Amino acid sequence: MTENVKENTPIIRVKELEKYFLAKRGYIHMSQYVKAVDGISLDVMEGETVGLVGESGCGKSTLGRTIMKIYEPTGGEIFYRGQNITKLSNKKMHNLRKSMQMIFQDPYASLNPRFTIGDIIEEPMVIHNMYTKAERKEKVYELLELVGLKPDHIRRYPHEFSGGQRQRVGIARTLALNPDFIVCDEPISALDVSIQAQIINLLEKIQDEQGISYLFIAHDLGMVKHISHKIGVMYLGHLVEFGDADEVYNHPLHPYTEALMSAAPIPDPKLARESKRIMLKGEIPSPLDMPTGCPFASRCPRCREECLAGPPIMVNVGDRKVACFDYL
Amino acid sequence: MKLLEIKNLTTEFKTGQGIVKAVRNVNYSLEKGEILGIVGESGSGKSVGMLSLMGLLADNGRIVSGSIIFDGEEISPISEKYKNNKKAYEKRMQEIRGNDIGMIFQDPMTFLNPILKVGTQIEEQILRHTKCSKKEARERAIELMKKVGIPSPEKRIDQYPFQFSGGMRQRIIIAIALSCNPKLIIADEPTTALDVTVQSQILELLQQIAEETGTAIIMITHDLGVVATLCQKINIMYGGQIVEHGTTDEIFYNPKHPYTMGLLRSIGTHTNGERQSLIPIPGTPPDLLKLNSGCAFMPRCSKAMKICKDYMPCRTQFSEDQYCSCWEYCKDSADKIVQEQSAAVNG
Repeated sequence: MTENVKENTPIIRVKELEKYFLAKRGYIHMSQYVKAVDGISLDVMEGETVGLVGESGCGKSTLGRTIMKIYEPTGGEIFYRGQNITKLSNKKMHNLRKSMQMIFQDPYASLNPRFTIGDIIEEPMVIHNMYTKAERKEKVYELLELVGLKPDHIRRYPHEFSGGQRQRVGIARTLALNPDFIVCDEPISALDVSIQAQIINLLEKIQDEQGISYLFIAHDLGMVKHISHKIGVMYLGHLVEFGDADEVYNHPLHPYTEALMSAAPIPDPKLARESKRIMLKGEIPSPLDMPTGCPFASRCPRCREECLAGPPIMVNVGDRKVACFDYL
Repeated sequence: MKLLEIKNLTTEFKTGQGIVKAVRNVNYSLEKGEILGIVGESGSGKSVGMLSLMGLLADNGRIVSGSIIFDGEEISPISEKYKNNKKAYEKRMQEIRGNDIGMIFQDPMTFLNPILKVGTQIEEQILRHTKCSKKEARERAIELMKKVGIPSPEKRIDQYPFQFSGGMRQRIIIAIALSCNPKLIIADEPTTALDVTVQSQILELLQQIAEETGTAIIMITHDLGVVATLCQKINIMYGGQIVEHGTTDEIFYNPKHPYTMGLLRSIGTHTNGERQSLIPIPGTPPDLLKLNSGCAFMPRCSKAMKICKDYMPCRTQFSEDQYCSCWEYCKDSADKIVQEQSAAVNG
């Protein structure tokens, strides 16, 4: 975690963002939608890392992709440095993509196997008409050094590299355009434990030097806590809790956050024996047929009558935001 | 008597690029009712070791040396009994697999047959290994489903795998593994494909099963959090060898091998309080085709010495359970070990 966060200057502001996917087209019956992202608001400050956690299918990747405008948002607004980019055309987005980039989960699928490492890292600069050919080459060497690869790797192909090295190539490609906001979509999930720490440290080093903001999506709670300043917890398309990373981790307010944090296996046998795990009962509701009340009500140990009536709104509890009737 | 004893197991694969020694000289044993964790990175030989034990190696793989004693019976395909009688070995292994040793695999979707009802798949194993009627098998299947925590098993027994969620499918697989009251369950990354909340449910279930039935469990994983929660003893594997073994507390609070220490440092402490910076292990896991004759961890080790490159360290015992293979601890007898190893190479 780096120290150079500029509070009060949001680089990305998301307001009531919605992304629905059409699941079933209907004529007589209504069309059915999967509400992958349903009314999410959050800010990412300059030089800050915001971690997003949640179970698979909770919409965390969709949120990342919608912010990048890979998916067209269904509703809500996205601001980049105060500029509303929700309705921008692909052509106008093209210029902005220099400053907004993405690192993908699978370092095997996201690199073109027929390109050399040099070509892969150079490509974004070619697309954006940046620098002369000689300058680009120099930049590639610079980037290789930055991510900890050797200069002679430039002529090699992706298949000659291990997973961790490929992820480094992916990071170098992302940095080629000097972005100031990067969405990291599970960048370490496919890597071995001893390699994960290398990539996390690299991302932190880059943030320290260049003041880049990250939206860090992952399901490994320990790593997310380590790298993030703030953590957002998602459940079925809703943001249920958002706040300072240590606070959310150590003193969760929302019952789902509490269950999620207690479920994470602790790599410390004594603590693991002492800690009480909160077992969630009940089934996750189908995203096609969402309950009218709180989305977590069916599994919540603190569920009351009012929870089933309508969805809870997000309220501020100290510096934190929680969506739960307990705090309303 | 020990439930499982593996001595000097070496397994190799013939590949287009050469011979890969996936498991090299592995020794360990397991008591009844014990939960053993095997931790290692991809390619460290943790799964291949188990497949060798079960006789499920691919066609290009073979056990080169070693003995496997399960419940007092030698079940290695290269033992005197089975060396020239492959048919007898296969027949015996088919009796053991599923009956005495249950297996749980990583991906619950590929393990289950998508076009058979889950009930049929549980009953199949019961009918294969025990003498009972179809009706009894069905009753036993319902009972098992109840035991692994599947709600309304009478209804769900006639459903297909796609109607179950990932965690529920994994429960079905555990039910299948339990169906014949095995003495040993081998779980190969059973929770890797699952969410944390589901993972903790499955771990709790496995623990409960071990306590209730006295079944021993071998848990193969790369997640140190999982072994800390579940296991009593741990093998740390690297480059096809066990580099350290000990009780869970010994491994976590008093690690001896530089690799174990590196692993623990690279996940940081998740405890309350101060945030520590992660210290990664430099370099990458070894290429098993190009191993040097010495310690496999040498190229990444901060304490590497000259001798590490060419000669294999010997085992140093620290307590009743804990031992590790590192030159750091057997420097004094270096001359003797070097002589022995040179003699073995030359002779």
